[in-house]
Amino acid sequence: MSEQKVGVEEALKKPLPTPDGDSQPMWDGFKEGKLLLQHCGDCGHVQYYQQGICRNCQSPNLQHQKASGRGVIHSYSVVHRAPGPAFRDDVPYAVLLVELEEGPRMISRLVGQDFDSLDFDLPVRLETIKVSDELFLPYFALNECN
Amino acid sequence: MQNKRSIRGKVAIVGVGQSPSGRVPGRSPLDLTADATLKALADAGMDKSEIDGVLTGNAFASSFHRFSVALSEYLNIQPSFSNTLQVSGATAGAAVNIAAAAINGGLADTVLVACGDSLLTGMTPDMAIRAMTESRDQQYEMPFGIPVANTFAMTAQRHMKEYGTTSEQLAQVAVTFREHARRTPGAQKTDSITVEDVLNSKMVTTPYHKLDCSLISDGAVALILTSAEKAHEYTQEPIYILGGGEYYSHEHIFLMPELTQTGAVQAAKKAYEMAGVTAKDIDVAGIYDCFTGTVLMMLEDLGFCKKGESGPFVEAGEITYGGAIPTNTHGGMLSYAHPGIPAAWFHFAEVVRQLRNSCGERQVASAELGLVHTLGAGFSTQATTILGTGSTL
Repeated sequence: MSEQKVGVEEALKKPLPTPDGDSQPMWDGFKEGKLLLQHCGDCGHVQYYQQGICRNCQSPNLQHQKASGRGVIHSYSVVHRAPGPAFRDDVPYAVLLVELEEGPRMISRLVGQDFDSLDFDLPVRLETIKVSDELFLPYFALNECN
Repeated sequence: MQNKRSIRGKVAIVGVGQSPSGRVPGRSPLDLTADATLKALADAGMDKSEIDGVLTGNAFASSFHRFSVALSEYLNIQPSFSNTLQVSGATAGAAVNIAAAAINGGLADTVLVACGDSLLTGMTPDMAIRAMTESRDQQYEMPFGIPVANTFAMTAQRHMKEYGTTSEQLAQVAVTFREHARRTPGAQKTDSITVEDVLNSKMVTTPYHKLDCSLISDGAVALILTSAEKAHEYTQEPIYILGGGEYYSHEHIFLMPELTQTGAVQAAKKAYEMAGVTAKDIDVAGIYDCFTGTVLMMLEDLGFCKKGESGPFVEAGEITYGGAIPTNTHGGMLSYAHPGIPAAWFHFAEVVRQLRNSCGERQVASAELGLVHTLGAGFSTQATTILGTGSTL
């Protein structure tokens, strides 16, 4: 019975990332408002998410570099039914598939609820959102000039 | 070019059984799966002692990590080949393909391929969805509140943008499968719906309304596969595995190479080549229909219509009786049942019954070649299986 109780409590909590050896620098970067991408010192490939090796040439020679924070909306979906109790207070919200200026795509969320302005290939810019002292999440906002 | 090492015609499905499905309270995933297994054995006219292999998927409403092993114990059988597979929605197709390879390779003679879950009454709806969302990456996807539905929704949105696919065309998939379900005994949803009903149902995640999304159900299906040599010893007309192909293009949705073209292209190509057939030859299809837009994209990637033309294709009635490729004649996950991982097993059960010519009023006339395509996790996992009657060997 106690196991079930834990299950319900767990369901009410938002799933938060637990940084690992590959990703710790990136999560640290968000605390300073920066998105760090991995650049391969051998083949020049730029990647997100963070790995121990380059996805293109498997070299371990990777450096974190600050991204411009600019990108465009490759696709999106406005969530009206929460994917679990933890997100019930958030709906409606827009999940974005952002294509970064440097090439990689990433999953993120729109700052605010201006869903009528959402469109494909629309420019967006990074905004890190504080979740706790230890954790900031990378969201994206529509450019004001849109 | 056909691969020299092939499972074509070497293995047949000789037994099909399913538990009650839809809302089935008070029955555990193991109980439902055992029920389906006993029915499949009866269908084949086979004793359980002949089963020496067991493949299953996992059940969300069950605490067993090794569901195939737990199921064997529950049935009191001791197989010499067993595994609990996990490639999300593609598990059904992958399991059938692997069972065929195992039989052809001598690892087992007769394999039970079964799956059951009680997503509807064994868990709360929120827990069921939560279980599904937890299959997304904990660092790079889930913190943003991205349900699995959302990954499929973003591909559909992009398809609409690139090809002018409309919400009405998406809705037509749901309407067509609902009409199919109305002819199928045991279907969970049998009230007639219109395109307007779909568009007026609550928005879940754009562009998907409630009626664009598959159901949540309880239920189990069991298939029994054996070698072509032994297949004639049983009651039913054997339905042969003619080809199998799979493809795993990415894990994260943000690393999907193109949102509007999936690994189903490569999976189907391999299966068609092994079977020595093309999309045009297929008489009846079972296509994984977690969402309406999923079906549209699969019709293109499996070669039933050209890229970008699935919307008009569906509107023209091509996926129902009299059309190019009658699809999900049982009603699919949108209207028959969607107990999670077992959902795609129902597509296999239906296509086998169509090929046995045993579907009564929903029979597709002279169906000899069938295709089942299962997929999962935001188009990450893809498995195609081509099935045929003895006349197609």
